[in-house]
Amino acid sequence: MRVGVEVGGTFTDLVAIGPSGIRITKVPSVPRRPDEGAFNALLESGLPLAKIDDLAHGSTVATNAVLERKGFPTAFVTTGGFRDILAIQRHGRSRIYDLEYQKPAPVVDRASSFEVDERILADGSIEKALDPAKVEKTLIPALRKGGYQAVAVCLLNGYVNSVHEELVRDLILKHCPDVLVTISSGTTREFREYERATTTTLSAYVQPVIDRYINRFSARLAEHGFKGRFSVMQSNGGRLPAEAMRGNAVNVLLSGPAAGVVGATRQVARSEFSNLITLDIGGTSTDVCLVTDGQPQLTTEFMIDGLPVRVPVLDIHTIGAGGGSIVWVDEGGMLRVGPHSAGADPGPACYGKGGARPTITDAHIIRQTMRPEAFLGGRMKIDVEAAKRVFRPIADHFKMSIEEAADSAVQLANANIVRAIQLISTERGYDPRDYVLVPFGGAGPLHAAQIAQDLAIETVVVPPAAGVMSAYGLIASDFLQFETLTRRRSVGEDAARFLREVYAEMKARAMERARQMNLPEKLVFDFTAEMRFVGQAFEVPVSFSEKDLAKISSAAILKRFCDEHQKVYFFGANSDKPVEFVSFRLRFTLPISKLPLLTEETDHKIKAADVRMFDGRRWQEGRLVSRGDIKPGKRIKGPALLEDPTSTLLVPAGWTASRDENDNTILKRKG
Amino acid sequence: MAAGSARSKTAARKTRAPADKKANVKLDPVDYAVISQGLIAAAKEMGTKLVRSSYSTIVREAQDASAALFDRHGNVIAQAELIPMQLGPMSEIFRACAAIYPPETLKEGDFYINNDPYGGGQHLQDVFIFSPIFYEGRLVGFSGTTAHHLDLGGGNPGLTPDAVDVHAEGIIFPPSLYNYDRDWNGGSLERLVTSNVRVPAQTVGDFYAQFAANAVGAERIRQLCDKYGATVVMQAMEELIDYSERRFRAALKEVPDGVYHGEAYVDDDGLSDEPLQVKAKVTVKGDSIAVDFDGTCAQVRRNLNCPWASTISATLAAIKSALTSPDIPFNEGVKRPISISAPKGSLVNPNYPAPVRARMLAAYRCFNAVMHALAQIVPDRVIADGNDSTDVTSISHLDGTRYQVYLEVYGGGYGAGPRKDGCDAVDSPLANCTNTPVEATDMDFTHFRIVGYGLIPDSGGAGKQRGGLSFFRSFEILKDDVNFAIYSDRFRLPPLGLFGGENGKRAACEVMRAGKKIPIASKSKVYLRKGDILTLFTAGGAGYGAVGERPREKIAADLKQGYITKGAARAVYGQKG
Repeated sequence: MRVGVEVGGTFTDLVAIGPSGIRITKVPSVPRRPDEGAFNALLESGLPLAKIDDLAHGSTVATNAVLERKGFPTAFVTTGGFRDILAIQRHGRSRIYDLEYQKPAPVVDRASSFEVDERILADGSIEKALDPAKVEKTLIPALRKGGYQAVAVCLLNGYVNSVHEELVRDLILKHCPDVLVTISSGTTREFREYERATTTTLSAYVQPVIDRYINRFSARLAEHGFKGRFSVMQSNGGRLPAEAMRGNAVNVLLSGPAAGVVGATRQVARSEFSNLITLDIGGTSTDVCLVTDGQPQLTTEFMIDGLPVRVPVLDIHTIGAGGGSIVWVDEGGMLRVGPHSAGADPGPACYGKGGARPTITDAHIIRQTMRPEAFLGGRMKIDVEAAKRVFRPIADHFKMSIEEAADSAVQLANANIVRAIQLISTERGYDPRDYVLVPFGGAGPLHAAQIAQDLAIETVVVPPAAGVMSAYGLIASDFLQFETLTRRRSVGEDAARFLREVYAEMKARAMERARQMNLPEKLVFDFTAEMRFVGQAFEVPVSFSEKDLAKISSAAILKRFCDEHQKVYFFGANSDKPVEFVSFRLRFTLPISKLPLLTEETDHKIKAADVRMFDGRRWQEGRLVSRGDIKPGKRIKGPALLEDPTSTLLVPAGWTASRDENDNTILKRKG
Repeated sequence: MAAGSARSKTAARKTRAPADKKANVKLDPVDYAVISQGLIAAAKEMGTKLVRSSYSTIVREAQDASAALFDRHGNVIAQAELIPMQLGPMSEIFRACAAIYPPETLKEGDFYINNDPYGGGQHLQDVFIFSPIFYEGRLVGFSGTTAHHLDLGGGNPGLTPDAVDVHAEGIIFPPSLYNYDRDWNGGSLERLVTSNVRVPAQTVGDFYAQFAANAVGAERIRQLCDKYGATVVMQAMEELIDYSERRFRAALKEVPDGVYHGEAYVDDDGLSDEPLQVKAKVTVKGDSIAVDFDGTCAQVRRNLNCPWASTISATLAAIKSALTSPDIPFNEGVKRPISISAPKGSLVNPNYPAPVRARMLAAYRCFNAVMHALAQIVPDRVIADGNDSTDVTSISHLDGTRYQVYLEVYGGGYGAGPRKDGCDAVDSPLANCTNTPVEATDMDFTHFRIVGYGLIPDSGGAGKQRGGLSFFRSFEILKDDVNFAIYSDRFRLPPLGLFGGENGKRAACEVMRAGKKIPIASKSKVYLRKGDILTLFTAGGAGYGAVGERPREKIAADLKQGYITKGAARAVYGQKG
């Protein structure tokens, strides 16, 4: 049996798939001790732990440690003269008219920042050699005195030549064997010292947190007789054996949303959809991601709490729009939705827990696009009147009916989400019309069709159990890791040969690492070169498959880069300016042997009925149907509400829905 | 002001810009919210892409560039919030072009270009380019960008401290009209520029990035027109301006009426020791506000003169940041309730051909003078003085036939505010340049190496809220005959504390040569030798509120982090170390 346990902000979800089908369990999270919630889910599911072969886990523990600055005492070591890299940052402000602007707080303070006397240059040559005796005399006693449990080492130009960083690490370990040391060259090999130093300190800071978490969790699993494989999700969309997370802590910072993207990608791939935009709408936020040819887009420009993290992560764009987002009118008279959220407590007004401001969930209740009985399978009491009451002032302001006001709020929330999708598609040179929209999360299926329509997307594919897609994604994901290398070289006549050499070198390194992690050797490789016009500072990623590499010419490499640059920046296609390689990224993947199959849960019984809903600014008559009851091949015309135990799918007028042989529900817009 | 002297004045406008109002059907609130957020997002995307596709370190690393979208009359609709200084008067710069080449005569591919300080522009380095946006043959708006160009010729690479007039500062593009296909892209204008700048690969590359960003903005506007129709989009543009105006006027109504005075000083003009005074009279009346710089000193012979557009910009930034909430979109609507005037021939409204390269220093004193006046009305909305200078350094070298030019712009400590300590080591309020990473300079330049970059303890003025710390940056010079040029301020006159807060520490610049310290003046040019260590120290922010009111735990935290030294804790706060 395979089991995925995903710890979210409000709920912890469990999806188990075995010979006897699918089982879904939802329990409240325990914010202080996420492993407690995860274990509760395991107990509540009643699954015998000894029968679980494959347990995959996703947790917010690292993210919370950063957001609440609850990591372990961490020191930062850098080149002499540059102790204040973390404090000075990039010297800019993200809000230009804010007179009391404050910088994001680094996770390591100034008192814990130290220097070593050394200097390496941009070409990797050593300008000033590091003297080990001096390190032992000054740095080591300071680290001891501070009682640090983790140390981040980031030296200038360490991305080109890591010899000094390694020496510092070895010296610290020699004298303080219990300290966890993270070096920048082992974390990210990108230039720009502030970003690299921050990435390294974040990694060092959460490392002890992750280590302890995994130890605790593994021990408890063993106590309960678990003998299977225990793995942990990463923010790059793959998992790693729990043991291998040591030294890779920075990779778990955004794992929750990543799991959902992978789960959705895998499930709809069964129905032959490989170009998708994933849409995960939860209680407080919406996450969108572009997936091309079955591959989610990656980025290395992710930020957490204003701090840059320069490792490849799934390029998931998050905005503050979810069921709990507050609907308001600003002092200039503009209707707004979010980014503030009513959160889980008090939650939307209709929860009856004292929420006094209208939210998107309240709007759905008013529009009757979500039935009060659909919340937690009817276990939750919904106050319809409270929802109406809080929407009254908005309706009055715009001289509308309450239903119109609620409808306007939903439309505006949709528009905010449309803009988020444009940011990851049109702004990067991808046309959303070449993609299908794949909604999941509690509220994704409610909003998807309207959003698709605004983006001129023709098809929406809704996976089964859409409300717990992240937990499914955990067991549907492959094992994966990245190898990176910075090597600047102009693209000349020998570019093709150079590229092949780099590939061979990186592949050998990746195979060695996989061996160390006990991953079998059936690896799949994806190779990307980061390229730019000489003189630019930001690179455009260009991918090359192993097949490409075998026969590609230097001229073709150049052309491929120019076309990519044109796509994003609107110039470059016909440029004869010199081009260079800057860095390379090799992803190596161990694909899971067999995909666990997600199915519609069949024991969800609701009676089909006629319903009214307010959508598109008018009342409409439609049908309410249980998703599990739809016979494959049957087409259901909108307006309709299709429910499963985890979410409600809204099929608006003008759309039809059908369930395919893989239990995906396909929405099509009428021609 | 003296009788008979000329003055410039921007008028507060009650009414909207002229527009064809016939088709003014009621704009749907959802359409309006969607289109206006789309316009703001498009402007932001232009800014991001401009920075990311550019070539010079001053644009790609320091992000000294800005972008905005305009309606078809040239009113700013939405902007990428990058550099306040460049954004304020973009429509004035546009109008100078439109007055000669009316927008309705433009065709696809045309563009306006302007950097003329005496034709609506600021200083030559900020070149503004505006591209018309057509939808189905109809002019619907403009996209515009500016970038600080690394070198535009002139008397010295990057920066000419001793320029006698604007002609010595570089190439002037008067308000003019060109066509991209005909004149750029290998055409005559591109060749003219290429021949007149010292680092053409970078400068011309940055121009391309500007054109591309303009194209991005145009494409996004056309997509909005596809969906909503050009008429609705133009209507939403107009409404967005009205919206900002409405919100700003509502905020102004809260401010007590009255006439308030403030003043501030630039250290000197680089020739004498005489401080240069900027005086502001701020009149608040109902929902409008007027600022008059009457009494400000006369223009000077060196490049400290602040052209009219820059004075407008600095004044707008001070008022916008102090009196409005940060989320009011900055556009033409914010400018309508404000009128600004200044005598011609003064430091803040100079006559041709006065040099203007270092106009930021006087612009900051406009900002400070307005802030000092506002401190009397709204003490809980203003901050104390900070570094408040754009400290610009140019370190250049000619190696055979190849120039290397490294330009860097520095801030320092922010002034403390009513609720928070001033921000440490950050660019000053009118600018927002990021630093060039040390590893980027290591990669790109061979004539110097950065050997130190850190905070300066005790540089922030003490107070209930402490001023932000300033920082130093040290360079080892690796070749002989390296050209160093600087303009900076606060070397003599420190940032002033507010309501009992102490002054911030002054700025300085020095060279260590063979064990001897050589001070460098704030506005000067020198040649450096191999082995010299050059260090710039920027100014610290001043404190806000009485020193005695600072909580002990904050003093202890400052001590622990080394933001203040034990000696200072004792001397200033009376705290035992």
